[in-house]
Amino acid sequence: MENVEKKLQEEAKKLLADKKVDVVIGYERGTLPLTATPVFITDAGDAEKLVYDATCVQNLAKYAHDIISAHREAQKKVKPEDRKNKVVGVVARGCTTRSLVIQLQERQYDRESIVILGVPCDGYIDPKKFNLALDGEQAAEGSVNGDQIAVKTLAGEKKFALKDVLADNCITCRFNNPVISDVVIGDKAPAKAADKEYEKVDAFEKLSTEERWAYFTKEMSKCIRCYACRNACPSCYCKVCFVEQTMPQFVGTSAEQTDTQIFQLLRTFHMVGRCVDCGSCVSVCPMGVDLRNFLKKLDKDALELFEHRAGASMEDVPPLSTYRENDKEDFIYNP
Amino acid sequence: MADVKATDGWEPKIVAIVCNWCTYAGADLAGISRIQYPPNVRLVRLPCTGRINPFYIMKALQEGADGVLVSGCHPGECHYLSGNYSARRKFSMLKRYLSYVGIEADRAMFTWCSASEGERFAKVIKGVTEKVRELGPAKKLVKTL
Ligand code: SF4
Ligand code: SF4
Ligand code: FES
Repeated sequence: MENVEKKLQEEAKKLLADKKVDVVIGYERGTLPLTATPVFITDAGDAEKLVYDATCVQNLAKYAHDIISAHREAQKKVKPEDRKNKVVGVVARGCTTRSLVIQLQERQYDRESIVILGVPCDGYIDPKKFNLALDGEQAAEGSVNGDQIAVKTLAGEKKFALKDVLADNCITCRFNNPVISDVVIGDKAPAKAADKEYEKVDAFEKLSTEERWAYFTKEMSKCIRCYACRNACPSCYCKVCFVEQTMPQFVGTSAEQTDTQIFQLLRTFHMVGRCVDCGSCVSVCPMGVDLRNFLKKLDKDALELFEHRAGASMEDVPPLSTYRENDKEDFIYNP
Repeated sequence: MADVKATDGWEPKIVAIVCNWCTYAGADLAGISRIQYPPNVRLVRLPCTGRINPFYIMKALQEGADGVLVSGCHPGECHYLSGNYSARRKFSMLKRYLSYVGIEADRAMFTWCSASEGERFAKVIKGVTEKVRELGPAKKLVKTL
């Protein structure tokens, strides 16, 4: 990925210098070893801050949406003749481009408002798996070399395979290359084990109703309702989220388990045809709630029922805003 | 609602969310034709099944319904042409999803019933009531505070 990083910096620099974009959203080195954090570059001179490797976790489409909508709001206070356009460059791997497709299909901004710097992806490090691999030790330094990770801790050096700490969604990712891009950077990344993407969901479906309920309630009981999952999700952008809505109030705020379960059911169900399995929600969750098991089910059903994969192409219509007369209706009750 | 949850003398409480043009009229027909059906159902009338937010169904289950029924015009007969087609997509996803997380599949039921189907309306209500009765009082998702 080193080449990709170099080329990315060059392209970002060019775009900024040529004033083709006002800001490039990318990743820079984080403060802790083996982490990266989102960065907003407005000055061509800063382009070498950009990094791109397996430490880049968050889906940046979230920020593209936030920046563009904040700009649009701010422009309302400006005289019409003085209004300016803002163009945002986004470093985007497969899942990020899919989120951008969804935002475009949902008419959140014009295609001209974004320049997509498409990058190939071999998967990112799941911070939780990484910590487990460290066995309670603290990393003082670390580096990714090809498919190996080398970490220095106080106790000494540790080496492990990158594939052992990749996030679950990356291991079975079907779209690890951009589905749309304006600037293509680097060669295509090799395919992942996409044929196994629903393995866990299939296994979960085979459990009994009570076992499934037990797992659902166990996972949701960890949730502290910090809403970080919602805040990180590129498909969660409503100005007033149902979570905070009070008339009517959908989600109660008591400590009772059911309120949390309802929150989770409603948020995940909002993701029908809109979740790209980027894993951002999972990675930000401080409590390690297994959100993916539930989101992936919706993904599987949307594929089975409507042959739809979220954000896979600009031409697809979101599954819940269309219909076919012969859609399956075996669930309809006929006494 | 917790107070009526004691199993002896328990009667299923079913919320039926129906569209104004077909199922509500069908219920009306059942009424004026004096067709008997169990009194366990509470009808909520909406303009169209396309107007039914899936949230309503989950919310009803949380607020103490033992079962939720959604019914509207038959496909092709929606007063607004395609409301029930969109609804069908949402509900086919929802039905699977609720059962995936471990809620008994029969707690959320979906059907079509036209304005001329008073008989069918009564049959649906009977059928749903029986199914929910078999399941017993809802325990999952229910708010007790
Ligand atoms: S729900 Fe989670 S995995 Fe799905 S798009 Fe949102 S952040 Fe990504
Ligand atoms: S990030 Fe985790 S703890 Fe926070 S609201 Fe989401 S699931 Fe709950
Ligand atoms: S009006 Fe009856 S379903 Fe649309």
